[in-house]
Amino acid sequence: MKRSLMALAVALLASTSLAGMAAAETSGKRIALSNNYAGNSWRQAMLQSWEKVTKKAVADGVVAAVDTFTTADQEVPTQAAQIQNLILQGYDAIVINAASPDALNGAVKAACDAGIVVVSFDGVVSEPCAWRVAVDYFQLGQQQVDYLASRLPQGGNLLEIRGLPGTSIDNLIHQGIAAGIKAHPNFKIVGEATGNWDQATAQRAVSTVLPSLPKVDAIVTQGGDGYGAAQAFRAAGRDTPIIIMGNRQDELAWWQQQHRANNYTTWSGTIAPGVSTLAFWIAQQILDGKQVPKDVTVPYLTVTQDTLDQAVSTTPVGGVANKEYTQEEAAQAIQANTKR
Amino acid sequence: MSDLALRPPGWKMPNLPVWSWSFLAALLVWVLSFTIAGQGAGGMLVAALSFSAFTVMVGLGQMFVITLGPGNVDLSIPATIGLASAVAMKVMGGQDGMIAVGLLAALGCGLLIGGFNYLLIRLLRIPPIVATLSASLIIQSVGISYGRGLQIKPPPALTDATFARLLGVPVLAIAAIVLSVIAAILLQRTIYGRTVLAAGQNMRAAHFAGLSVERARLLTYILSGGLAALCGALLAGFSGGSSLSMGREYLLSSIAVVVLGGTSVAGGRANVPGLWGGALFLFMVSTLLNTAGFGSGLRDVFTGLIIVAGIAITGTRQALR
Repeated sequence: MKRSLMALAVALLASTSLAGMAAAETSGKRIALSNNYAGNSWRQAMLQSWEKVTKKAVADGVVAAVDTFTTADQEVPTQAAQIQNLILQGYDAIVINAASPDALNGAVKAACDAGIVVVSFDGVVSEPCAWRVAVDYFQLGQQQVDYLASRLPQGGNLLEIRGLPGTSIDNLIHQGIAAGIKAHPNFKIVGEATGNWDQATAQRAVSTVLPSLPKVDAIVTQGGDGYGAAQAFRAAGRDTPIIIMGNRQDELAWWQQQHRANNYTTWSGTIAPGVSTLAFWIAQQILDGKQVPKDVTVPYLTVTQDTLDQAVSTTPVGGVANKEYTQEEAAQAIQANTKR
Repeated sequence: MSDLALRPPGWKMPNLPVWSWSFLAALLVWVLSFTIAGQGAGGMLVAALSFSAFTVMVGLGQMFVITLGPGNVDLSIPATIGLASAVAMKVMGGQDGMIAVGLLAALGCGLLIGGFNYLLIRLLRIPPIVATLSASLIIQSVGISYGRGLQIKPPPALTDATFARLLGVPVLAIAAIVLSVIAAILLQRTIYGRTVLAAGQNMRAAHFAGLSVERARLLTYILSGGLAALCGALLAGFSGGSSLSMGREYLLSSIAVVVLGGTSVAGGRANVPGLWGGALFLFMVSTLLNTAGFGSGLRDVFTGLIIVAGIAITGTRQALR
């Protein structure tokens, strides 16, 4: 009894902070997460944040049930089959981190046709009936060059590390970097390597181009690849350039150690794994009857020299710097995107 | 190795040992690369030696497996690398004093996987290609739940060791050369090695000759698992931490270096020095394509074409003999 009163109070509190509709309207709804990979630190942090926030939401009576489904491989057909299963199981909303921007559209469309709310995040889907929660990757690319311009006013040689070929994320960051270089024409890309957001791949790829390159002043990256690049420079016996990092704990710890040793300074930014919780709240808001624009863009999480020590101390060893979102923040994000 | 007697009389190519072709190809691509780049000949060679050490390590295991005869192949190498690297990093926990224990733990994990592969093949009578592929799904899932995807840093001494050079040559490459010599002796001078070769030529004949073929097969899969695990642990030291996807690169390359190096895909004939030629060639090809500035799409297409061409040429040469 006491527990349900508490839940009611929480629900009431939550609903007053939102414009209008009562959150209790979703108390009978069931939400599923369809996730296609769990094998790296980012995905693990994403799942942990999801678990933590949704468990509390269920306990508070905001929604009836939240279930998590992860396929072990990164394959499209497996995830498409999984979504078909979720449709049959009658969920009210499906939150997806998709294996492909367009290959899942058939399954997503089937879910929409069955009256299910589909919210994609991080790996978003292009099917128009689904919602998309993403960060501004174009700006992430652009801001890397902006930061470097502030560090190296006279410009310099850049090495660009690309992500997984063919993904929307890789294209957007690359275009952002190109735009940044247009704005700061004294920078020049002298080499490119494909790192697949993986440090071992990045290290190998950088090692293949490095001997042919002139002096490299800085490296623009996509996250998960910066530390591998640093290792490649070390193996080649070259000075470490300014490497943009991607919020991984090992990258941040290395940066902190280098800063203490020789005042090394850089900048780090990527999408917070906790964006899964934002997608959850947005699905809940849609079920609640709120008008939500199909594309919701949120700021990416950055770490600067000023926030480095705090980020290192709050990020679990081997994990990724993270931020979990609240229902209010979801409402704010919806509002900010509606105005645009 | 150089079985001159089997060569047909009409053979016109120069009388070079089989393994030298992959070295010549690597040399050619290397010269092309630093000519295009206008610099970096030494740097390219050192990088190629470092990375080839890992490729050769798994290539040795794969070579023994393929030599066992048609159908034998180990597709669980990438998953083994991923799991073993996680086990090694977790056991070491960043402590220099735990390096040996961590390496042993990784090695034990690899030996177990090899034994498990053989059990699937022998007891359940599953073809090796399916058995090792499904084993890798299991290994990968174990890896995900064991490592939780965390990238744990290696102990500093392990990283330093993987970066060390002796007279400009990476110590890792020297270690891999020593390992190759041991493997060559194992293959040519021991009963186990001769059994692998005999089984690859004709398994029934080898069996009737009184050789314990099944024991050799078990040992071979265990050897392959162990070498992949060792590679995983060292690779984690070299690239600054473990990751499950770390071994993905080695699925194709472990098989490609075996074939490019002149080992017979049909089994029964192995070539250790050729592995080095194949590994150096593969690395030089990606150096060349990256240096020439190809985009990722074209680069993959060219890498594929070059490997296919290389294997086709080696394959025809073997067919001619």
